[in-house]
Formats: sequence, structure tokens, C-alpha cells
Amino acid sequence: MKILTLVAHTFREGVAKATLWVLAGISTLILILVAFGFSTETTANGIVLMLFGNATSPPLESSQLAQAIATMQATLARGLMGGVFLFGLFATAGIIPEALEKGIVDLYLSKPIARWELLAGKSLGAVSVMLANILYFVGALWLVVGLKAGVWSLQFLASALLMAFVFACFYSIVSLLAVVSRNIGIVIIGAFLYLFVVGAALETRALGLYLLSGSAAYRTVIDGLYYIFPQLAGMQNQITALILDQETDWIPFVQSLASSGVIFAGAAAVLHRKDF
Amino acid sequence: MIAISSTSLSKVYRNGLLNKKPVTALTDFSLEVESGQIFSLLGPNGAGKTTFIKMLLSLAFPTSGSAAILGEQLPNVRIRSRIGYLPENHRYPGYLTGEQVLRLFGRLTGVPHAAVESRITPLMQMVGMDQWKRMKVKKYSKGMLQRVGLAQALINEPEVIFLDEPTDGVDPIGRKEIRDILKDLKNQGKTIFLNSHLLSEVELISDRVAILDKGKLLKTGTVDELTTEGSRFQIGFIPPLPDAFRVEAAALVLPLSYEPEVLTAELRSTQDLNRIIDLLRKHGVELTSITRQRSTLEESFLNLLKREVTS
Repeated sequence: MKILTLVAHTFREGVAKATLWVLAGISTLILILVAFGFSTETTANGIVLMLFGNATSPPLESSQLAQAIATMQATLARGLMGGVFLFGLFATAGIIPEALEKGIVDLYLSKPIARWELLAGKSLGAVSVMLANILYFVGALWLVVGLKAGVWSLQFLASALLMAFVFACFYSIVSLLAVVSRNIGIVIIGAFLYLFVVGAALETRALGLYLLSGSAAYRTVIDGLYYIFPQLAGMQNQITALILDQETDWIPFVQSLASSGVIFAGAAAVLHRKDF
Repeated sequence: MIAISSTSLSKVYRNGLLNKKPVTALTDFSLEVESGQIFSLLGPNGAGKTTFIKMLLSLAFPTSGSAAILGEQLPNVRIRSRIGYLPENHRYPGYLTGEQVLRLFGRLTGVPHAAVESRITPLMQMVGMDQWKRMKVKKYSKGMLQRVGLAQALINEPEVIFLDEPTDGVDPIGRKEIRDILKDLKNQGKTIFLNSHLLSEVELISDRVAILDKGKLLKTGTVDELTTEGSRFQIGFIPPLPDAFRVEAAALVLPLSYEPEVLTAELRSTQDLNRIIDLLRKHGVELTSITRQRSTLEESFLNLLKREVTS
């Protein structure tokens, strides 16, 4: 119950941040554009996708229509995930460092809350804020597209939960950086380094890092690092595959769950013996 | 019953990233606080007062030694549901109102929802914040924050209450109100552990006091014991005071100071007092009054620290 109180409080803390309203505003703008600009027109040869009155596709059969809609949803989901990482990080990077500041941490830890509970409550609260944003965009888009084109893709709806899961895995790294540094700037820089440098380089290791050395040991180390960290790009690729109704590989999700769990446990262990 | 105890508690902080320089905050600190008392810990800045409280609340971990609250050895998460704490320079999320602060920390203490709700208004009334309970805390003054902080520390009806500089930033009327609240809490059987720089206030409400300097416990005792030690007496007399008296009094090696009709003596015992009186009588001096002058807690505190420095 105490964790739920912390989650609810952190959710409220997140909602109070202007950054998240920017993301919600961009989402709303896109939804308005889709709601007013997107339509379908049934012709003798099939259904045509229209954008602001202009045809954007040849006449499609119903299976082709579903595929075209899925492609649009997958593209928007990719964009949303980028927005979630960018705005979500800025909005939530401060949640743990601020909770560990002198004058606030004293209040939290003087209550009957274990330190890992404080960390878990704050992290889940941050993730819940992003989940709300993702659900808002995906749910509304699913509804608009369903009403306008008659395509009700459950995979697209389910992708919302998977996107929140990807953010949760990412947030385990944010948590570790936050507990170790207790500094928002370091958290943001470290998380972006992971996202755009370390994670990206490991994901595309066959095209880059592998070329630096032919040694088998070197490749084993690179592969090891890839599996130690949450596979953010790998999971995003699988979310796209799911929306496009292609075969989905769940291994990146399982590995990321395990590695995030270990990283989070590491953050909790560091916090456990810290003097405030 | 002992509410708080520590045995040979020591704390050494290691600062710096590479060249970790040890800083001793507390050394071999043993203390016992009885239930139902107001106990104050005094000491200059950096004496180790806050470190001691932080170790009791498991915000910092001892390098050696042990401590217990209400008979439970620390660290112990559960015992914190029976403790209230008002830290120094506490901060609350600015978007919360006063009553939301109480609701949040009440729930985190494990108090059921209905009980928290029923306690908010009486507590806010008690600390004089009822009319501002729906105002955001970012608009509160320092004194208002202290009052809400005190209410927050009491939301779980704790048995032991730790207050670190509770009257910091509070005006004189507010301080008196807080003192009255603390006395009421004591009358309800609660144990109050106070850290304060305001010695005049501590003197007014404390049952026992401990003086700490550079991480070491210098003295504990009641306010009476600490303020009457090395008492000063003023002896009124009808002049003149014979020179022979002064010569003989000097031989007693006691700190004496003379005014036209008053002799002030810093004495360690009643025997010293009787020796001075005997001497005055021997020289035929007529006495008009004998008054025991107590030092204030502040004077006693400063004298003790001065002695510590010179020793």
C-alpha cells in the first residue's frame, strides 16, 4: 500500500511537470490532424485512403487497407516512442534525485518504508506517467482510425503496454544513474549516452563494433554487453513487427526484463547503504 | 522505560571520491532517554547532533556501536511507524497543499485512510494552520512550513518524536505555541527528542539535557543539575568591608568580586559558602542577604565548552 501511495504521489509529481504537457500537446495535435484530415473513400475498385481530401493510396482491398493502416500506426508508434524517450526523460529524470535531496529524503526514510520500496515507488510512478501518455495517444488513435476506417487492430492497442514496458526498462538505467549520482544533469547525459551511443552501437554491432576487431573474444565481450543492457531498439523493432502483424520475437523483451531487473536491483543495493 | 538508547555509537564519514578523508562525526556516544521526557541535545554546529538523530532513524549507518528505540534494535523499518520526525530544513513538494502533505506522509507511515482524514483538521488546528491548509506549501513562510512539519511529524500519533530545530524561523508567539504543544505531548506520555540552538527555549521545556561537542558527549543531566553546578552566590552586606577580610578571603582561592554592598562568589559547594560567611562574621560584617544565582543554560553550556577547549 505504501508503494501505491508513492506511485500515486509520483504520478502527480510527473503530471505537474510542463515537459509532459508538451508531449501530450504534440500527441493531441497529431490526433486532431488524423481525426480531421484522415478519411477513407469507397470506390468501385476498392477503398482509397484520403488525407485532407487528397487520395494517398490506390484503391485497396480490405486486407490491403488493414496493412496500410497498420503501417501508418507503426510509423506513428515509432514517433511516439521517440517522443516518450525524449520528453519522458526530461520530465522524469529529476524524480529520483529530487526524492534523495536533503530535506526530502529525510522525510521519506523516516517513515516505515524500505529504501528499495522508495526506489520502486518512484520508478513505477515515473513509468505510470509515461504509460498514461502512451495510452492516451495509442487509445485515441486506435479509436479514431477504427471509427474512420473500420480497422480495429488489437495489436496496435497492445503495443501501448509494450511501449510502456520499453520505457520501464530504460528507466532502470535512469534509476541506477540517479541513485549513484543524485544529479539530474548526470542522469540526463548518461541516459542519452546510453540511448544514442552505447545502446545504438550495441544494437548495430554487426555493422560497426564487429569491424573494429576480428578477435572472437572481442566479439564475445561486445555480445555480452549487448545482453547485459536492456535491448531498447530490439524491442522497438518487435513492437513494429507486432503492429504490422508480422512474426514477433519475444526474446528481446525477456532479456530486457532480466537485465532491467538486475540493474534495478543494483540501484537498490547502492541506495541500501547510502548515508543521508 | 527507556525510549531511546545508544551504546558506543560512532560515525566516521569518508568524503571525497578518490582520496577519502575520514571525518569523525560521533565518537563512542552512549545515551539513554527515558519515556515520557523532553530530552534535548545541545552542541555547537558540527557537534554531531543531527548525525545522531540520522543514525537513530537509519538515514545514516553507524561505523560502530548500536542503538535501540522503544526496545527495538536498529536498523528497523517497522519501528518507524511509532516515530515522528521533523528534520531541519525539510522541504515538501511545492504543488501539494498543507493538508495533502499530511495525507501523503500519513499514508506513508501506514496510517489507514480514514484515520489520516480524521486527524488532519485537529492537527492543523493544533499548529495554527487550519485556515491555510488548502494553500500550496510553496506559498508558505518558513514559520508556516515549520508548523506543518510539526503536524506531519504527529500524523501517526507517534510514541517518540524527533524534532530538529523545530522553532527555526518561527516568531516568538509561535515559539511559545510550539513549546505549549510539546508540553502537551509530554503530558500525553510521548517522548520528545529535541535538537535546538535556542538554549533559552530548551531550558524552559527540557527534563534532561545532553551536551555534545566534536562528536563527544560532554555532560548529561537535568536542567537544574547543569545550571546549578559551580553556583554563584551574592552576599549583601553593610559596608565597610575590612581590608583584613579581603586578605584572608584571598587565601581561600575562590573567585570573589566586590561591589560597594555586594560580594559575589563563584562557589563549588555549600562548604565554600559557609567558609565565606564565617569569615565575614569573624570580621564583624553585618549581612543583609544571601542569594543563590543560577547560571542560565546558555552560560553553563558555554562554560562547559570553554573548559573543554582549555583542557
